[in-house]
Amino acid sequence: MSTLIPAVDGLLATADREWRTLGINRRDRVTLAADLRGELEAAAADGFDPAELLGSDPTEFAHRIAEEAGVERTPPRYGQILGAATVGGVVSFILGWALVLGLHDVFTTAFDLSPDVHMPTLLGPAVMYGSVVVAVVAGAILAVRVAQRDAPRIQHTVARMALLLPPALAVSTAAAAVVGWALGYAFNPLAIGVEVAIVLAGFLAATALARYWTVTAPGT
Amino acid sequence: MWCMIAADRSDDAAERQAQLLRGCLDMCLLALLAAEPAHGYELVRRLDTAGFGTVSYGTVYPLITRLHRLGLVANVLQPSSSGPPRKVYRLTDTGRDRLQVWREQWVHFADVVNTTLAIRSPKPGDDHEHADPSR
Repeated sequence: MSTLIPAVDGLLATADREWRTLGINRRDRVTLAADLRGELEAAAADGFDPAELLGSDPTEFAHRIAEEAGVERTPPRYGQILGAATVGGVVSFILGWALVLGLHDVFTTAFDLSPDVHMPTLLGPAVMYGSVVVAVVAGAILAVRVAQRDAPRIQHTVARMALLLPPALAVSTAAAAVVGWALGYAFNPLAIGVEVAIVLAGFLAATALARYWTVTAPGT
Repeated sequence: MWCMIAADRSDDAAERQAQLLRGCLDMCLLALLAAEPAHGYELVRRLDTAGFGTVSYGTVYPLITRLHRLGLVANVLQPSSSGPPRKVYRLTDTGRDRLQVWREQWVHFADVVNTTLAIRSPKPGDDHEHADPSR
């Protein structure tokens, strides 16, 4: 019997991969796997080969079990969601910068602060960068919500993006600033590329995490 | 050439058999469980004994999963002397009622099919259409 256990484990691993691909949440996967494990181990104890029982295509078998069990499926669609978020984020970044720079020109032309008024040094950059971050987050969320409106539980994903993206962008922007400082604020393509990549990595990681959180959370 | 034709016919027959089975296997599983509770691969053996040929466990287990989801079968763990406990499936009251309905439906359907198949096509000599010479 002990020699057959690895075979059961292998089949269950294959089934679990398929269930993950289908977007079945962890709780349901555990239930399906426990049922199947019981069946296969009992069959093995009675002298049946578990691999033969499931047939030549254990992936298809796992797919059918999931369908027949009627478990809720939330396909991850990581690629499509990351793509939509990136397009929305980049477009909003460009529009946000244009808007912020335009407003900056308008305000500096229209108003002239009295020398008696002391403004914190970081307030200006914080407002500027903060506005751009807000624009990027809003654009990414809107793009995902609209472009992926047919994806299961997408509203949960965008809610989690709203929660995760601001801190992720703040941290990755700060990290990019540190790298820029370390490179002496070099203005060459390599330095700029590294800084953009850091911010983009934070953005994509937070978006993927938001979707992963949605997919793995128990159904509502 | 004959081998190829025979193989094609055999494939067709197997495919036809699979299609027919698809429409009634859940009912047959209920009927087998109504006779006596069983675990999954025991059902495979009973189907074979009943004359369905080899129906794979990979076909039977997902169907049992569906019947269980629909509340037509329930399972209990039965201790075994040779390994882990066996999950034995039995019919629920709902399953028994559903089997009765499905059985009646099947009998009616099979009657209609048999009647239809019994209709003989007219012999060539029985053709009552005549050519109209005036045309």
